[in-house]
Amino acid sequence: MELDPIQKDALAEFGNIGAAHAATTLSQMLMSPIEMTVPEVQAIDIAELHNHISNEISAVVVFQIQGEIADGGYIVVSMPRETVIQLTNQMLGTTDTDREINEMDQSAAIEIGNIMISAFLDATAELLGIVMLPSPPALAVDMAHAAFASIVAQVAGDVNDVLIFNTELMSQAPPVYGSIYMLPNTELTQQLFLMLERLMEPLP
Amino acid sequence: MDNNFFGEETAEILGLGELRVGTCPMGTIGLGSCIALILHDRRKSLAGLAHIMLPESHGNTDRPGKFANTATNALLEEMEKLGSTKFSITAIVVGGASMFEYSALSLNIGERNATAVKDLLHEQGIRIEHEETGGKVGRSVYFWPKKKGRLIIMRADGTCIAL
Repeated sequence: MELDPIQKDALAEFGNIGAAHAATTLSQMLMSPIEMTVPEVQAIDIAELHNHISNEISAVVVFQIQGEIADGGYIVVSMPRETVIQLTNQMLGTTDTDREINEMDQSAAIEIGNIMISAFLDATAELLGIVMLPSPPALAVDMAHAAFASIVAQVAGDVNDVLIFNTELMSQAPPVYGSIYMLPNTELTQQLFLMLERLMEPLP
Repeated sequence: MDNNFFGEETAEILGLGELRVGTCPMGTIGLGSCIALILHDRRKSLAGLAHIMLPESHGNTDRPGKFANTATNALLEEMEKLGSTKFSITAIVVGGASMFEYSALSLNIGERNATAVKDLLHEQGIRIEHEETGGKVGRSVYFWPKKKGRLIIMRADGTCIAL
C-alpha cells in the first residue's frame, strides 16, 4: 500500500484532531501541560514492524474500534512502565517510583487509556460524521512489539502492510511519555480514504 | 531499536511473517501470540526459522512465513533442497502467548498458533526437541545453528534461558 502525499496529509490531519483531544483530556487529568508531536502516518510492511515499535516493557492498552463501523480495527495507547507508575503516583498522591507494576497501575493505565481514546474517537468520528466507539479495553504489560504483533495478526490476515498512526505525548512534570497508535483494518482504511476525499473536495 | 544480536555480525533478525534457512545465527524479537518455529539439522549445522503470525493460510501464498501451514512446508522444502532429510531435522517451538488480560477481544490467538504448529510437526513426523509455548509473557528468541545448536530465550519478565 502506497500513500500519496494528499492521502498522507489528510490522514495526518485526521490523527492530529484525534490526538489533540486525547492530549487535552490527559492534560486536564494531570493538571499539567502536555506536548504532542505532529502525527505520523505510515503504511508499514508487517515484516518491518520491529523497526518501528520498540521492545521496551510497556503498558499497552488496546481497544477495538466499534460503532457504525463494526470491527474497524484497533486503537492503542502505549506507555513505558515508568510512565504508568508516574501517572498512578500523580493521581493517588504517592511518590514511590522504584517498584513493580501493581494492580493499581494496571487499572490506572486502563482508565487513562479509556479516557484518551474515547476523546480521540469522539473527535475523529465527528469530523467524519460517523459514530466510532471504543470496545472495552484489553491490557498487556509486556514487550511492546510482542503486544503489537498480536494486534497486527488480527488486521493483517490478508494484507501485508498496516496503516499506523503514531502520535507521541509528553509532559515534563510529571515526566510521562506515551504514544497513540491506530491500526484500521482494510475496510476502515478504505472508508477513511473515501470520507477524507469528500472532505477535501472544494465547496460547490 | 533493540536489534542487537550479542554482537554477531552475520546474524539475521526476522520480522513478522518472514522465514529464512541458513547457517547464520537467526532470531526474532518480541514474540507475542506469534510463534518462532526453528527447524534444525545438527549434522549440517543448518537451520530454518519462521516468524509465524496466524495458524491457517486459507490459500494465501505470497508470504509463506506468515502462516503455520505454509511456513512449515516452506522451511522443510528449502532444507530438503539443501540436503537435509526429515529424519535429521528436529524442531524448536517458542511463543504463542496470550498477551492481553481482561480481554473479550479475539486477540489471544497464541494458543491456536501453537496447536497448529505442533500438529503440523506431528504430521510430518518431526521430533520437537524443545518447546516453550503459551503463558502470558512476550519472548525474544535467538538461535545459533552450529552443530548441536544454541538457543537463547529471553522473556519479558526478565528471565532468560540458554540451551
